[in-house]
Amino acid sequence: MNRYLANVNGWTIGAILIIILLFIPNVSIVTGIFSSASENWAHIKEYMLVNYIKSSLTLVFFTAMFTVVIGLSLAWLIAQYDFPLRSFMKWALILPLSIPPFIGAYTYHGIVNYTGVIQKTLRNQFEIVPNPSFFDIMNVPGAIFIYTLFLYPYVYMITRIFLSHQSASLIESARTLGKGPWEIFLKVVIPISRVSIIGGVSLVVLEVLNDYGVVKYFGIQTFSTAIFQTWFGLGDLDSSIKLAASLMGIVIFILIIERILRGGKQYSYSTTKVRPLPLVKLKGKSAVFATMYTLVIFSIAFLVPVIQLMDWVILTFGKVPMGEVLVYTRNSVTVAALSATLIIVFSLIVGNFSRIVHHKFAKLLPKLTILGYSIPGAVIAVAVVTTFIALDRFLAPVYEFIGIDSGLVLSVSLFMLISAYIIRFFAIGYNSIESGFDKIGTDFRDASRMLGVSRLRTFFKIDVPMMKGAIISGFVLVFVDILKEIPLTLILRPFNYDTLATKAFQYASDEKIMEASQASLLIVGVSAIAIIIFHKLLREEPK
Amino acid sequence: MKRSMIFLVVAMMLVLSACSSANNTNTKNEAAKTGSEVKTGEVNLYTSRHYDVDNELYKKFEEETGIKVNVIKGEADELIERIKREGTATKADILLTADVGRLFRAKEDGLLQEVSSDILSKQVPSNYRDTDDMWVGLTKRARVLVYNKDKVKPEDLSTYEALTEDQWKGRVLVRSSESVYNQSLLASFIEINGEEKAKEWAQGIVNNFARNPEGGDRDQAKAIAAGIGDIAIMNTYYFGQMLNSQEPEEVKVAENLGVFFPNQETTGAHVNISGAGVVKGSKNAENALKLLEFLTAEEAQAKFASANYEYPVNNNVEPSELLKSWGEFKEQDIPLSTLGENNAKAIMIFNEVGWK
Repeated sequence: MNRYLANVNGWTIGAILIIILLFIPNVSIVTGIFSSASENWAHIKEYMLVNYIKSSLTLVFFTAMFTVVIGLSLAWLIAQYDFPLRSFMKWALILPLSIPPFIGAYTYHGIVNYTGVIQKTLRNQFEIVPNPSFFDIMNVPGAIFIYTLFLYPYVYMITRIFLSHQSASLIESARTLGKGPWEIFLKVVIPISRVSIIGGVSLVVLEVLNDYGVVKYFGIQTFSTAIFQTWFGLGDLDSSIKLAASLMGIVIFILIIERILRGGKQYSYSTTKVRPLPLVKLKGKSAVFATMYTLVIFSIAFLVPVIQLMDWVILTFGKVPMGEVLVYTRNSVTVAALSATLIIVFSLIVGNFSRIVHHKFAKLLPKLTILGYSIPGAVIAVAVVTTFIALDRFLAPVYEFIGIDSGLVLSVSLFMLISAYIIRFFAIGYNSIESGFDKIGTDFRDASRMLGVSRLRTFFKIDVPMMKGAIISGFVLVFVDILKEIPLTLILRPFNYDTLATKAFQYASDEKIMEASQASLLIVGVSAIAIIIFHKLLREEPK
Repeated sequence: MKRSMIFLVVAMMLVLSACSSANNTNTKNEAAKTGSEVKTGEVNLYTSRHYDVDNELYKKFEEETGIKVNVIKGEADELIERIKREGTATKADILLTADVGRLFRAKEDGLLQEVSSDILSKQVPSNYRDTDDMWVGLTKRARVLVYNKDKVKPEDLSTYEALTEDQWKGRVLVRSSESVYNQSLLASFIEINGEEKAKEWAQGIVNNFARNPEGGDRDQAKAIAAGIGDIAIMNTYYFGQMLNSQEPEEVKVAENLGVFFPNQETTGAHVNISGAGVVKGSKNAENALKLLEFLTAEEAQAKFASANYEYPVNNNVEPSELLKSWGEFKEQDIPLSTLGENNAKAIMIFNEVGWK
């Protein structure tokens, strides 16, 4: 026991506080699993659950598979080889992340449907009337296509940063030992980047599990459909929370599997020099192939939808009120940057705690915070509203004392929305930070502490610089994610507070995808700028 | 390097906090400004209508009355849940939804209070108002049949029920049962024909599906053009939007289609409304009433309805030219609140008959 008490310090207290705060709103959902079944439960079980779970699992399995194949292959190409357009592709391949999947779904459907550019051109210019079912993407394979395109960057980004910054010595050793590229890929790259791959793909899985926009539009029935059909259709929020709680159960199960997969071998630095992996220059056919491959992925996941959006912006120009577009953009950027910063700071505190406290509890506890990312945003929103209204009631005497004449203060402010973002997206930031900590291990820190340097100083002097990549990528991921977030923003925002995402949703939800293009394109633009800025930051290597 | 990193983080946080406090002072200034210029207060709106014309009308209302309209737009059920949880402390004065079922639910949950005035009763016919005056309709839309002019003669069409006949096998297009418009449609049949008949109808439609339901209402019309099916169930205003689309190809599709109002000899075409109620505990109930009166008055109704190809509820206002060209039609004669009452039953039937 004393051994653990010795670990109690600022980090521990801070970390545990953060975890508790993140977890509190989820409690009301978790307890939902034990609530007694309503009269609707039998109906839900008989008609909704089995089929819905099946299609959810299909979506999750294939999306995970394809995102790993695409994400890892791209990460490996970019990290290991030099070929034409490589330095552009390095960051451009992250850009598809800036397109919210539901916008991607609307856009792709807009391209391939009967009045879309492909069929239209075939019909009018070439008098070819193709079988319309050939262009039908509103089905399970279509949804997998959409998810893969717009989510693979999670795997790509995390794995690429890991490979180019933290695997140099291992891959170089393999090269020196005369191993061929495929052997290096299979025997070195895959095993050492396992943590990053799993980290990335678990974000993809969670994103697919809780997505509602794409499946609703396509008419695919999944677990999240069941949650909303129960809530909106049957008007039975309790049962839908019970469903959401079951979803949390599944997620906890996935997390345990992830732990098991991740456990065992650790590969941390053997040298303080975090240096980039020297590139192998590709020539001839293989260079052409590498360029073509990255170009094709980049085109279908980013270029094509963006061109379509631009086309629509032009088509609807003047028909959509532009007035306060700057205000929406500023709102989006401010709230996303602020929330992302807080998430990264919190993640660093919790991640450091989890690393230095040698106790199972300290490893597992932070994992609980991922729950916020596992269930549909609208359900989280209910939990957050409940928590904040309780908080406002609790603080009522304080409000009275300082002369605020209103029952609700926090719950009508931006504070509630930012807190909700933190609860929801903490997992994204933490994932990145955690794999960063995993990589640097504790040796350097221990050495620094042994030499009598304080904890805080050690943290800023040793850990933070070594984790620059993880911090920056975590920030960008969270920033971009918040920029395109919908359900929380819609329901938890203060009065008269619009963001780019709410604007895009406003039109898209009413099947006015052309009118939604302006706000959608701005989301993409702002995200792209963020990705470029941080790419530049990341490129200057520590001297 | 390390120092610059820390510097960067700190600087960023400073900038951000400056931004957000600047934000705050802005809003405070605005509040102070409106406070000093006009003393008529404000009205807070939770709405699930997302149309641009709504904003224009709120602005107009502000100009005319000096009452500031504050808006949170969201999904109806989530807004209702938020009001429920905020309880008596809620800031919401008006709940505005695009579907009467949600208003019914809010009423059932005791979230609304009576709203009535001579002006409202004059402007909105009683069948578009709640029997207990808990909500009032603002616009109406009809769920009709749209058909391929080349393949279907209007004489072949009669009722929603007739679509279950064998001659329509593999020809009927309709979106998924998750759409509240389909839920309300089936709910109305439960009310008119009883649960059993309603289930037979749903089963009959499923048997005649041209394909598994996918996409929105507009996609059903496009599927007719693409030859996947010949007849679609869709809302009037989506059809209006297509006819006026910026994409010439969509207009072309819509022009080849005809609109048919079913059940004209029998029970009438299905109509739903978007409407609003005043939230219980509203601190600005008077302003809320003023806004509802404004929105149902002739001037606003003309704009409200025509901008989005909806039908006005105010009888003194004519629908837009396009809607007039489709002719007048007979509506279902059932209390609108029954659409809400039967909503859950409708969902269960959809699930049971396998209407995705």
